[in-house]
Amino acid sequence: MRRGGFSLGRSLAVAGRVLSQIRRDRRTLGMLFAMPAIVMLIFGFALGGQASNVPVLVDNQDAGYSVTVGPAAVSLHAGSHILASLQSDSAVSVTTGSFTSGKTGVDSGMYFAAILIPSNFSQTVFMRAQGRNVTASIQIYIDGTKPSIAAGVLGALQGAVQNASGIKGFSLVQQYAYGGVKFSGLDVSLPSVTAFVLTFLVLLISLLTVSRETTSGTLPRLYTTPLTAIERLLGYTLSLLVVGIMMVAVVLVVGIGLFGAVVRGDPALLFAAAVLYALSQVLLAVFLSNFARNEFQAVQLAPLIAFPSMALSGMLVPISSLPGWIQPIARLIPMYYANQLFEGIMLKGYGIVNLAFDFLVVIAMAALFLVLAMTTVKDQIDA
Amino acid sequence: MIETENLVKVFKEGEIKAVDGLTLSIKKGEIYALIGANGSGKTTTVNMLTGSLAPTSGRITVLGVEMPRDRHLVSARIGVAPQEYSLYPDLTLEQNARFFARLYGMNSQVFKKRFGELNEILRLEGREHSLVSNLSGGMKRRASIECALLHEPEVVFFDEATVGIDPVLRAFLWDYFRTLRSNGLTILLTSHVMDEAGKADRIGLVRAGKLVDEGEPDTLMDRHNVRSIEEVFLKLSGRELSDA
Repeated sequence: MRRGGFSLGRSLAVAGRVLSQIRRDRRTLGMLFAMPAIVMLIFGFALGGQASNVPVLVDNQDAGYSVTVGPAAVSLHAGSHILASLQSDSAVSVTTGSFTSGKTGVDSGMYFAAILIPSNFSQTVFMRAQGRNVTASIQIYIDGTKPSIAAGVLGALQGAVQNASGIKGFSLVQQYAYGGVKFSGLDVSLPSVTAFVLTFLVLLISLLTVSRETTSGTLPRLYTTPLTAIERLLGYTLSLLVVGIMMVAVVLVVGIGLFGAVVRGDPALLFAAAVLYALSQVLLAVFLSNFARNEFQAVQLAPLIAFPSMALSGMLVPISSLPGWIQPIARLIPMYYANQLFEGIMLKGYGIVNLAFDFLVVIAMAALFLVLAMTTVKDQIDA
Repeated sequence: MIETENLVKVFKEGEIKAVDGLTLSIKKGEIYALIGANGSGKTTTVNMLTGSLAPTSGRITVLGVEMPRDRHLVSARIGVAPQEYSLYPDLTLEQNARFFARLYGMNSQVFKKRFGELNEILRLEGREHSLVSNLSGGMKRRASIECALLHEPEVVFFDEATVGIDPVLRAFLWDYFRTLRSNGLTILLTSHVMDEAGKADRIGLVRAGKLVDEGEPDTLMDRHNVRSIEEVFLKLSGRELSDA
């Protein structure tokens, strides 16, 4: 037998063997085709949309302006025209009301922006048109945590003003919600990056850890001991929760310590939210591992969950930019609620009261994954 | 102590009948050897007897408890050393043993005493803190046996557990098994090593999942007019099964 030299035949033998193994593993084969298709479809839909129906409140106090010029009376109602123009723009969904209640609504997340058209707006517009050195202004109180949506709302408002009054010299007095700080791109990204890192890594590590029991051959021995399936699941969950807590600590220390992530809320609440979310991902992994027969299958499940979560949870594009039919699906994704929690605490300075719903949803999802894990766990050899 | 009645196991994949109408009756304090070629259904039988595999049909009782339905009632009273080592390779011998001891509810003091005794008997002294992955094949087998005996079970199942152990230690182990038997322990072991099976109190020969003969070693040899268990086996197998 010739041992030296390069042999393409031997390389082809290795390639053939690997492909045969993949061909025999039907789940892997399925994932091979399904995963790229699913990820491409989801990203295609997610990135193809644009923000629409962004909720804004408009307080039109403009009293209009009437003046007699020679024999003719001129009447200008610029505020009403702006309001009508915004109401016909699908980019925003307009509610009318007081500016004060609008600001409160922005702070609570009900509206994305509150717009105040002052009582002398038409008068000022008219005076400027007459050559007076005055500038008409509109106040906008806006959520700065989603720069792309904020840009869309400001664009819609500027378009409406120009359509309505034809003026160019007006000023937008912008005030940012949540402390008046204009967040940097890094600030607004870090909450969702934190959620993604926890989603992907906690799932991956948990899936690998649990599936190792299957591949090491120790599981059949455990079936013969007094250890029940539920006790085993609880054991996995507790140990992986410790791992999850350590990962949360690292993610937050790097995010806050190294990148200076803004944390306007309570850091302890942020830590608690991150640990709770990590627990939900651990339980999801424990559930999913019931269906993985080997580490190869298990490791494929993490990206299958993490990539669609990235696309649909508001990390890349705001939920309101997704096609309408995808938006309800997006709200079923755990990472969406992690984003809400982390963004709420880090950027908006929310406390537990503002975030009670999101906390409850994450708890409910964790409970659901636990029940699913308990009902699908095997306590005998598959046959 | 261990009773089966018309036990059948058909695996879904390929509709393979691994065990086909097996009826056994093993008494308390007996060493019973189930022997047969590879693929004859020995491991499948052990898996069903220990409650980790559901039979397709038939009835099993171990220590008077119906298996696998009520296995939680009896799992603390049985010990199993599977064919695979079934230990955690990235943990030390002591960590593995302590883990299994905790599953059986042993406290730390009792564990230490028992672990020390078994280490001496199984010649594992000095390897307590070795990773299982660094142990030799024979040591892994002994470690597996150790984990099966830690909690002083009433019935032990050794699935090919003495394969790969050197002859001197194997002889020593058999002496130990007899000591355990005299203390009331019931042992069911499987093997494809016929000489070894000859040391059991009774032997059951299986072929294609069926029990083809059963009895004390001498009785079997007399019945088939041969001088070794291997010859009994070959005679019954028609010399076609020696793929072991």
